[in-house]
Amino acid sequence: MYFYFSIIQEEENGLIKKRILLSLVAVMLILSGCAGFQVGGDKAKTVEAEAEGKVVVDFWSFWGSEIRRPVIDKIIEDFNKSQDDIVVKHTFIPWGDIWTKELAAIAAGDPPDVVINDINATALRGEKKQAMNLSEFLEKDDISERFYPELWDATLYEGDSYGIPFNTDTRILYYNKAAFKEVGLDPEKPPTTWTELEKYAAKLDKKNGNTYDRLGFYPLFGINYDVWMLNASGKNFVDVEGNVEVDTDVNQETLNWLLKWKERYGDNVVNSYKSQIDSQQSNPFFTGKLGMFINTPTFYTQIRDYAPELDFGVAMLPEREPGNGHTSWGGGFVAEIPEGSSHPEEAWEFIKYLTDKEAQEYWAVKNYDNVANVEAAEAAAKSSEMSEKDQVVYQMAVDNMEHTLLTPTPLDAPDFPTLINPEIDNVMLGNKTPEQALKDAQAAVEQLVEENK
Amino acid sequence: MKKKKFNYKRQEGLVGYIFILPWIFGFLVFTAGPLLFSLVASFTNYNITSQMDFIGTNNYEKLLFNDQLFWTSLYNTLYYVAFSVPLTTIGAIFLSVLLNQDVPGLRFFRTIYYLPAVLSGVGVYLLWMQLLDPGTGFINMFLGWFGIDGPNWLFDPEWTKPSLILMKLWSVGGGMLLYLASLQGVPKSLYEAAEIDGASKWQQFCYITLPMITPVIFFDVVTSLIGGFQIFQEAYVMTNGGGGPVNSLLFYNYYMWNKAFKVFDMGYAMAMSWILFIIIFILTMINLKLAPRWVHYEGESKR
Repeated sequence: MYFYFSIIQEEENGLIKKRILLSLVAVMLILSGCAGFQVGGDKAKTVEAEAEGKVVVDFWSFWGSEIRRPVIDKIIEDFNKSQDDIVVKHTFIPWGDIWTKELAAIAAGDPPDVVINDINATALRGEKKQAMNLSEFLEKDDISERFYPELWDATLYEGDSYGIPFNTDTRILYYNKAAFKEVGLDPEKPPTTWTELEKYAAKLDKKNGNTYDRLGFYPLFGINYDVWMLNASGKNFVDVEGNVEVDTDVNQETLNWLLKWKERYGDNVVNSYKSQIDSQQSNPFFTGKLGMFINTPTFYTQIRDYAPELDFGVAMLPEREPGNGHTSWGGGFVAEIPEGSSHPEEAWEFIKYLTDKEAQEYWAVKNYDNVANVEAAEAAAKSSEMSEKDQVVYQMAVDNMEHTLLTPTPLDAPDFPTLINPEIDNVMLGNKTPEQALKDAQAAVEQLVEENK
Repeated sequence: MKKKKFNYKRQEGLVGYIFILPWIFGFLVFTAGPLLFSLVASFTNYNITSQMDFIGTNNYEKLLFNDQLFWTSLYNTLYYVAFSVPLTTIGAIFLSVLLNQDVPGLRFFRTIYYLPAVLSGVGVYLLWMQLLDPGTGFINMFLGWFGIDGPNWLFDPEWTKPSLILMKLWSVGGGMLLYLASLQGVPKSLYEAAEIDGASKWQQFCYITLPMITPVIFFDVVTSLIGGFQIFQEAYVMTNGGGGPVNSLLFYNYYMWNKAFKVFDMGYAMAMSWILFIIIFILTMINLKLAPRWVHYEGESKR
């Protein structure tokens, strides 16, 4: 910092300026030198591949972590070795940049050949002609049967697929078996309805003055209000035709139910638990301070790493009332071919490999991630590489797929959550009644749909 | 004779243009071109990849009359600018005056106060998210020592924007540096003369220091006003890509970015950017018009 002030004080002194300039230039040269080296390396590889008469497929993903990267690179290596015509080149682009970069590349007419993208917005990208219509390939080899139907449907725009499902997730209930035993609940019988959930939570609660030594359950940890409304109604807020179903009796009932929980525990308890969960340092579920918790199946890997001794079980989300359905919520990613790719056929070959059983099972086991390929998911749950507990949770995730709904972005109101979220926030903050908030949200979303039609 | 001079002048002018050609090229291709394009595209339903049909002033009408989020985002941004610009300016002047005193360890203090301005970006935002945590954060812990029950900061819609302004105040070191430089340029003789005339320290500050640094204040206000309207990153990172509770951190640029890159309604986003441009342009013009009334340049004769 001394350095900064000396610049000001000796502004007249050109020598120092010159020196700084020179060192800046030197730094730039070094940096550009590095970049040049990298590009050169890639180029050399590409040139080499082309010399052998192979087609280079440029593949973009955001899997750069030390866990994911080796797994995807191994899959690519296996693919490259499996045939003689195509070489896949993997480019890692950070999560925050990948899709804006993809869009810019498409607009510039020189996009990559395969990109991993969000499954929920696939139809939107199809409509906007960002992703390629894959029906010409699917007519030749229909691979749609490989995947969970809910995932496949999310990739369709006007009946044609614009992306092939790769991985997915769902939401399941984790519960502390030791705590269940302690309060006299059967550790093999997790709650199956909302009423049971409330009853069990009350039993698990351990109050200590103003705070809790153990909180039974709170519905808005790990998931949001929208998952509960999905769980209760089994329907999205906006359907394919653009019908808005926000202000419904079921949603109102759900909102009241959520409010009841908040009133029961109070803001302070909820906030302090929430900040512990958000901080990702000491999840109260690990330490037995939270009896039940809803999260993705991959949350299990955190338990495995940070609380290996925890005696816990997994279950489907409880249903609103018996027979209503244990509907859960999921998302995922697809592999798509951007519009304007120069090697779509070869890209398709790679996507086929990427979503086939072998690669998918490898990804599932090594990353402990849910995959879109049904056979692969079921095989992974029985993989000998997984421990017994690994298998139990994974099997739960696989079974839960049947109850899992996605929330594909509605084409008529792609950004509708920005209109509903503040209304629900207002309800939870006590500024609005559920009736009024849902009515306002309904009107706002309807207007958005109207304008986009 | 006359003709020759003209030629020479012309030639010199031409050489001048050749010298600034790289800049002219860059300006036309990378600034003026896109600017013009965005103006044209704001009257279309452009979405980068599949369509660009002329739809008249539809985008503008929709924005002004049918989009509540546009007004929410504009209000949030104006609120932020209205508080952050004066506060950071005053804060920076205050700090720089303190650090212009002749006390031991001055360089050390200057360094300390400038440090936050060096740190920037996502790391700082994450740090502040921890500091502002209602339960475990340092700020509420600190307030607790004085028996104050701190607010819920980033979780309470009333406090989200003040949280960001507080965070901005932490990094006034950048502005401080400018003021410090200009404070050093105030001639000592003025203070000496005032002292002889019996002016107090406060009078010296009000009638010598402040007027002498008004050009820098003017510069700082104009640039931070423009910068304030463009707040984006903070909200994007600190709300995990949402709008904050009750959309209280849905800032103008953030909403525009959503429309452009989430919904792919590029024409709409471009119309938004032009409205913002007009707002900032008008405010800057007002600033420039008002400037002669309070900005004092050394050696300038008063009209």
